Amino acid sequence: MNVVVCVKQIPDPANPGKLTSETHTIVRDGKLILDDSDAYGVEMALQLVDAAGGGEVTLVSMAPHSETSGLRTALAMGAAKAILVSDDALAGSDALSTAKVLAAAIKRAEPDLVIAATESTDGYTGTTPVQVAEVLGWPSISFAKKVAVADGTVKVDRQTETGYDSVEVSLPALVTVTAGVVEPRYPSFKGIMAAKGKPVEELKVTDLGLEPGQVGAAGARQEVVSVEPAEARKAGEIVVDEGDGYEKIVAFLEQIKVI
Amino acid sequence: MEFHETEEQQALRGAVGKLGRSFGHEYFVETAKSGGKSTALWQMAGKYGFLGVNLAEEYGGGGAGVYELQIVAEELAAAGCPLLMLVVSPAICGSIIQTFGGKEQRERWLRSIISGESIMSFAITEPDAGSNSHNLATTATRDGGDYVLRGTKYYISGVDEADAILVVTRTGTDHAGRGQLSLIVVPTDAPGLSKTVIPVEMTAPEKQFTLFFDDVRVPTENLIGTEGDGLRQLFQGLNPERIMGAAVGNGIARYALEKAADYARVRQVWGVPIGTHQGVAHPLAHARINVDLARLMTQRAAWLHDERDPLAGEAANMAKFAAAEAGIAALDQAIQTHGGNGLSTEYGLATLWGPMRLMRTAPISREMILNYVARHSLGLPSSY
Ligand SMILES: Cc1cc2nc3c(=O)[nH]c(=O)nc-3n(C[C@H](O)[C@H](O)[C@H](O)COP(=O)(O)OP(=O)(O)OC[C@H]3O[C@@H](n4cnc5c(N)ncnc54)[C@H](O)[C@@H]3O)c2cc1C
Ligand SMILES: Cc1cc2nc3c(=O)[nH]c(=O)nc-3n(C[C@H](O)[C@H](O)[C@H](O)COP(=O)(O)OP(=O)(O)OC[C@H]3O[C@@H](n4cnc5c(N)ncnc54)[C@H](O)[C@@H]3O)c2cc1C
Repeated sequence: MNVVVCVKQIPDPANPGKLTSETHTIVRDGKLILDDSDAYGVEMALQLVDAAGGGEVTLVSMAPHSETSGLRTALAMGAAKAILVSDDALAGSDALSTAKVLAAAIKRAEPDLVIAATESTDGYTGTTPVQVAEVLGWPSISFAKKVAVADGTVKVDRQTETGYDSVEVSLPALVTVTAGVVEPRYPSFKGIMAAKGKPVEELKVTDLGLEPGQVGAAGARQEVVSVEPAEARKAGEIVVDEGDGYEKIVAFLEQIKVI
Repeated sequence: MEFHETEEQQALRGAVGKLGRSFGHEYFVETAKSGGKSTALWQMAGKYGFLGVNLAEEYGGGGAGVYELQIVAEELAAAGCPLLMLVVSPAICGSIIQTFGGKEQRERWLRSIISGESIMSFAITEPDAGSNSHNLATTATRDGGDYVLRGTKYYISGVDEADAILVVTRTGTDHAGRGQLSLIVVPTDAPGLSKTVIPVEMTAPEKQFTLFFDDVRVPTENLIGTEGDGLRQLFQGLNPERIMGAAVGNGIARYALEKAADYARVRQVWGVPIGTHQGVAHPLAHARINVDLARLMTQRAAWLHDERDPLAGEAANMAKFAAAEAGIAALDQAIQTHGGNGLSTEYGLATLWGPMRLMRTAPISREMILNYVARHSLGLPSSY
């Protein structure tokens, strides 16, 4: 079984992020790393291929400046190869044009299953993967907390607010996984050394049969008009328990109408 | 001249750091205080191939060098988990057995050191020899197919976690009356070997032991390399030992400075973050400069060692000295920056004082390094 994992390479979240002043998009000048959210997808894919007894995991990423650092991390975890789409024409892409690019790249790998995270750590619109599935014309299941593949179908426990739904669709399909789905492995030293020699195919927009006008700022249907800092969270109220603490808690819960 | 780490070395830093942070300093402190062992972290490090990065691929190692191993030590320490046995098991014992051990010995001991399934301690220090290894009094005498060991070693780390100990013994005396040394592997359950814990004021999962060898018999197959050639063989392990000691110190220093800077950015007592006051900021900046200099020397020493350059010995000693001094100063300043909190258990700084302060004394003391540099690098006469 062949699985594609969409992996986003993002600025290190440990460093304070920056937005460009004109377009309000994330500044991605420095080195980009593997989005931690996607480590779950990579692990899930490796386990599924293992369980299927054969096949391989291919990574697909769209990122500026021919960035491969994050891909190398995922290759070190055990993925076999990667497709990277990097092109100046992609600057200013919104989620839909990103989805078009990813879908075109995914098609080249002819996978049985595509895995993505439910949302990225930096942009976190959580809208890209389902749009990828739509462009491909494949069914998709979001918020997977458990994934199993058998007899040409994928069975997913889909996280809901109250529990989970069991959903099953036929392959090829796209699944987005939550952070609870599996525990990602760390890249081993052997994996790190092996990653060096694994193929990363770098493509331009035109290699994918797309027109530069369909993607990037030119193709974006969405524009960030303005950005405002999130309101600072108000300090909580500290209740000192003088024997009547429970009454104050009940009063508070009544006030916010949860009881 | 090339000062960039390769993509693989950077990736190794990232992966080890992540593993270390998933355990964190709280794990280290809780384990130490409850009398537990850091086995869970050790075995994870083994599973991912981090313990044996410097050792041969043939035995499951990474086939890289001491440069990579010091990355492992530094990143784990920077995550609040300074594992002292890294200095001993893969660095000293692993390097020596890989270089001088026979095929069967490597198969037997190297493989499990690399996988983390077993740990090997190292015993050179003796109560009566001190820093003078020519004076070692633990003897190994041939008796048929065995060596019989007699003597005492002290401050030997991790014996209760180890399956075997690489023991430096005296198998003869040269014409100048100096010991001819031999390196012998002794299983920790050998009859006649007794171990007594030496209580030390250091928060760390590793315990220290006095070892009494009362006619301990081991087969001559346990001799590493050539009888009487132990001093020369030791040097294969002592550069890695010093480099690794330095790396652990560098990691602790980074951990401390990061915490200090985080604290100084938010703690306010006069309406501005305390980091605004130069009395707080400058000592931290100064400490940072010295820590980065120590790291540079450590990295150079590791590189020279891996290149088999004879300058490695001098560089390793200088790195160990610089890292201990820079690290102690950095940790002290981090504690000072935290005011009273600096001494709390919760803030996780004073808990590192023992392991950090140790670096000035072991594996080789500050004074013995100064002796070495005075004599070797400056050509000054020796007092001993
Ligand atoms: C107006 C606007 C302008 C932008 N300009 C640029 C730009 O100039 N340069 C630039 O590089 N990006 C740019 N982006 C961001 C980029 O196109 C995002 O990848 C895309 O919008 C997805 O957003 P998200 O992070 O919210 O993804 P989400 O929908 O939250 O992502 C969910 C999952 O989808 C997958 N995924 C998402 N994006 C990618 C990707 N790029 N590669 C592989 N897998 C992925 C991952 O598995 C991810 O976890 C811009 C976005 C917007 C909205
Ligand atoms: C926690 C801990 C773990 C240890 N783990 C191990 C281990 O696993 N294996 C092992 O073999 N050893 C181990 N040691 C021992 C350590 O390596 C020695 O304690 C150290 O090398 C100093 O030797 P010493 O204690 O005999 O001091 P001494 O040699 O007695 O020295 C005492 C003092 O005099 C100074 N001094 C001595 N000679 C001179 C001189 N010529 N000129 C100037 N000053 C001099 C020394 O620098 C020192 O300050 C450990 C020690 C500790 C505390």
